[in-house]
Amino acid sequence: MSENSTSSQVAEVAIIGAGPSGLAAATRLAKAGLKPVVFDLNAAPGGQVYRQVESPQADLRVTGIDYRLGQRVVEAFRRARVDYRPDSRVWWVQRVDAGFELGVLHEGRSAVWRARRLILCHGAMERPFPFPGWQLPGVMTAGAAQVLLKQGGLLPEDAPILVGSGPLIYLLGWQYLQAGRPPTCILDLTPRHQWRLPLRQPVKAWHARGYLFKGLKMMLALKRAGVAIERDIDALEAIGDKVLEQIRYRQRGHWKQRPASLLLSHVGVVPETHLTRSLGLTHRWHAEQQSFLPVRDDTLSADENLWVVGDGAAIGGAVNAMREGTLSALEVIASHHGLTKEERDERDGLRRERARDLCARQLLDAMFLPPLNIDAMPEETIICRCEALTRGDLDQAISDGAEGPNQLKAFTRCGMGPCQGRQCSLNATLLLSRRLAQTPDQIGQWQIRPPVQTITLGELATSSMVENRAT
Amino acid sequence: MFRRLPETASDSAEVTLWVDGEPRQVGATLSVAAALLQQHGWAEYRLHHDGTPRAPLCMMGVCHDCLITIDGEPNRQGCLVIVKDGMRIETQMPAAQPTPGASTG
Repeated sequence: MSENSTSSQVAEVAIIGAGPSGLAAATRLAKAGLKPVVFDLNAAPGGQVYRQVESPQADLRVTGIDYRLGQRVVEAFRRARVDYRPDSRVWWVQRVDAGFELGVLHEGRSAVWRARRLILCHGAMERPFPFPGWQLPGVMTAGAAQVLLKQGGLLPEDAPILVGSGPLIYLLGWQYLQAGRPPTCILDLTPRHQWRLPLRQPVKAWHARGYLFKGLKMMLALKRAGVAIERDIDALEAIGDKVLEQIRYRQRGHWKQRPASLLLSHVGVVPETHLTRSLGLTHRWHAEQQSFLPVRDDTLSADENLWVVGDGAAIGGAVNAMREGTLSALEVIASHHGLTKEERDERDGLRRERARDLCARQLLDAMFLPPLNIDAMPEETIICRCEALTRGDLDQAISDGAEGPNQLKAFTRCGMGPCQGRQCSLNATLLLSRRLAQTPDQIGQWQIRPPVQTITLGELATSSMVENRAT
Repeated sequence: MFRRLPETASDSAEVTLWVDGEPRQVGATLSVAAALLQQHGWAEYRLHHDGTPRAPLCMMGVCHDCLITIDGEPNRQGCLVIVKDGMRIETQMPAAQPTPGASTG
């Protein structure tokens, strides 16, 4: 299967990522007789949302009924004729004449793959949310807590505090409640007036009714169980010597303090743009989603023979990601041997459903705009966790003349640690944008060069790319 | 610390993990970082180069704060490696780190 030959291996269609969009794309391509190669960083299919779905460690009563959809999608993928390669890190991608070249790291060895067509399904990450003390052990993201719940049925020993904005905060609170361990309180950072948006935008609210009712149900269940939901908060700190001990927050002008052993934070998700940026694709700032998105055309293509789908392209949720995965597969089929009448109808139907769902998404984006802007955070707030650089450090470099992200990086080492800027890139650009009074598009983001995933020198030495280049 | 739900939905096979030389029984589906958060907690997980303690933040391969020594190899992303029976884990605290070049077998 995965012999480490010096010559490259070849795929007609390569898919990166086995979350909802990758699974849907691969399954649909297989149905049309094309056998895609699917590379995934994780050990099992499902991505983050359907993690561990093949051997669930928590009851559906806890994880929620949506998890069942993931089981069906993964089952269909397992039955499909697909070359599935888990535990495979794609650590570089580049365009070559006939398509793409990929460096794939598997079990400590790197191999080169060539693909004629490429579908990027690499997904999203949680929006980095810096506040004083967020680097303390005992502060984790709500997404991390969900990983622990899905992967091993793990719950916090002591009731945690949840903080942030957006649906995942309430979903996690509800899941913990179902498991018999509700949080002590939820600090909801969503400004009150944003909760009233559905009333002012009835058409979007109608399209979003499924999401809104689900959220309302979870919120009511938490209130009934006695979980305090605190609002009108405009500042937050985590305090502790070696681990989290207390949290402080400012509510309607008054500072309040609570003991805490575990603080789970979340302010939404953003596309992970390392792969798309390393390919040199154009990205544009999306004000509603407050993030950079790769530019795509109506067929979800970002370049010739290249599609970017799912939450790695724009946040739309798991169901939309599956739709986009299927749509990209249909585009590949169209360019390969054309579409039948049935396939064209399938495509048109999916496009209509997608348009409706994106209408609902606009309302959710507006309701859960990220709270507590970076330039409002105290100067001791760490922005780059890897290099331990604070907002004050970055501001100093900006006043010393750093005029853009690449200069800021060169001046401070911001973004040069092991996470390769994943945790600080967006906030560095936003800080520059506010200080220099330019739009995020004018500021841009620093350049991404391979490796886009962590790789050791030893692993690099096994790379057949190195051998190829040497000859 | 985290603890396991009283009853899990499917198999709950366990493996033995050696954490800083101590044997620990952990769920076979867990990542190294998840197993540590269950058995060891987030205190004394890792000391950052600026001298501050750190522990996993994201658990999905982004933050790199879960770096840990696995079978003698330092700075592995603990959240992306699934536990295996007999795996040797060293938390990256100065006191627990093996001397460079010393045999770890």
